[in-house]
Amino acid sequence: MPEDAGSEVAELQRELEAAYAQLVEAHKMASLGRLLASVVHEINTPIGSILSNNEVILRSLEKLKQQLGASRIEEALDIIEIMKSLAAVDKIACERISSVVRGLKTFARVDDSEWRKVDLNESIRNTLKLAGCEFRRRVVVETDLADLPEVECLPSMLNQVFLNILVNAGQAIEGEGKVTVRTRPEGDCVRVSISDTGRGIKPEYVQRIFMPGFTTKPVGIGTGLGLSISRQIVVERHGGSIDFESEPGAGTTFHIRIPIEHPRPAEPNRS
Amino acid sequence: MEKNSQPAIVIVDDEEMVITSIRAFLRLETDYHIHGFTNPEEAVKFMEHQPVDVIVTDYLMPRLNGIQVLARAKDLQPEATRILLTGHADKQSAIQAINEVALFQYLEKPWENAALLLVINAGIERARLIRALREKVSELDAAHSNLKDVQSRLWGVFL
Ligand SMILES: Nc1ncnc2c1ncn2[C@@H]1O[C@H](COP(=O)(O)OP(=O)(O)OP(=O)(O)O)[C@@H](O)[C@H]1O
Ligand SMILES: [Mg+2]
Repeated sequence: MPEDAGSEVAELQRELEAAYAQLVEAHKMASLGRLLASVVHEINTPIGSILSNNEVILRSLEKLKQQLGASRIEEALDIIEIMKSLAAVDKIACERISSVVRGLKTFARVDDSEWRKVDLNESIRNTLKLAGCEFRRRVVVETDLADLPEVECLPSMLNQVFLNILVNAGQAIEGEGKVTVRTRPEGDCVRVSISDTGRGIKPEYVQRIFMPGFTTKPVGIGTGLGLSISRQIVVERHGGSIDFESEPGAGTTFHIRIPIEHPRPAEPNRS
Repeated sequence: MEKNSQPAIVIVDDEEMVITSIRAFLRLETDYHIHGFTNPEEAVKFMEHQPVDVIVTDYLMPRLNGIQVLARAKDLQPEATRILLTGHADKQSAIQAINEVALFQYLEKPWENAALLLVINAGIERARLIRALREKVSELDAAHSNLKDVQSRLWGVFL
């Protein structure tokens, strides 16, 4: 009997873990889904430019041919200048698109669910490319990234944590403001601090923000799971810590600390 | 604005690349004066003292959004044609714009150059017709008050 009960508990435990993993994945997809509209906007602008430029360059070449045939050199030089400026724009536009796509890729990578040594600055930059689509126009993003030792972690999970906290920071700012991301080596940890100049957290909420389901946002904007999932990933999975300071009306800073070496025994072995 | 002067187009987009692309296209196909602004506040300042036929603006921009820019344009130069050129994300705002600032046309990014030119040309024609109409009305007004003047002087002679 006790043996049976034991295996039943283990079975339930596994089911619970699987269900939780699904929840974490669902929350990630929901956050990405909400970002999608801004990502599309961010990509459509450079695509619009490239398409237009392509057409204009073709027309320009036609004109150029005529002008050269008629030895209208001044006009031809004029057209060449236009074409040069368009080629420069195309380069910037392509870089913009590929940077957003790189940001998306960090969230889609399946091979990233393994423990791996990564430079968290790189994760921050990629996550900012996505989150930035959402608030680039009203929020100034400042980064102060120190050289970091590589951290042994589950990279896609940590990306999700950074995305959750960056999205919260952007949502806390009404109108214009600033988000600052700072990274520092700190003993046997790496610290990532994300500050915003948003509305801050009211004293009566301070005890509750990490509770699953606690949200002050309207339905469709917040599910109240972002911080509880983030805490689970940082504390339970990575043996790190997450805490915050906040001043209502002035802003909030979240500090995330991740140990450089992953404490092995905490991770159940699933091969 | 003189009726035969070159049409003046204002383009507002916080992305320099959009302005460069549209400017190049219009320079190739037309002889319009193109005034591009990445800062919406500067575009508004420009319209405070320069007559404009058509204003094309992006929606999502820092400081002033496209609807706010068009609202200011409507106050400053009601005859100028107002066009919103925007990414897919802000369809809702476009509907709001149509209602609030009497938008002439809503175009989506990525845009078609041919469609953009059609809309701009229609916008120029519309702006110039309205200006001409307004001039005619004020000419009529002037003629009317002239008549009144003559009439009262006539009465003066008889009375
Ligand atoms: N940077 C911040 N500034 C102010 N309040 C914050 C900040 N971050 C979190 N909060 C508060 O904590 C609550 C819980 O945050 P959490 O990320 O867990 O959920 P959520 O953002 O409401 O929804 P979602 O599941 O979409 O993340 C928020 O509703 C908000 O009231
Ligand atoms: Mg959240």
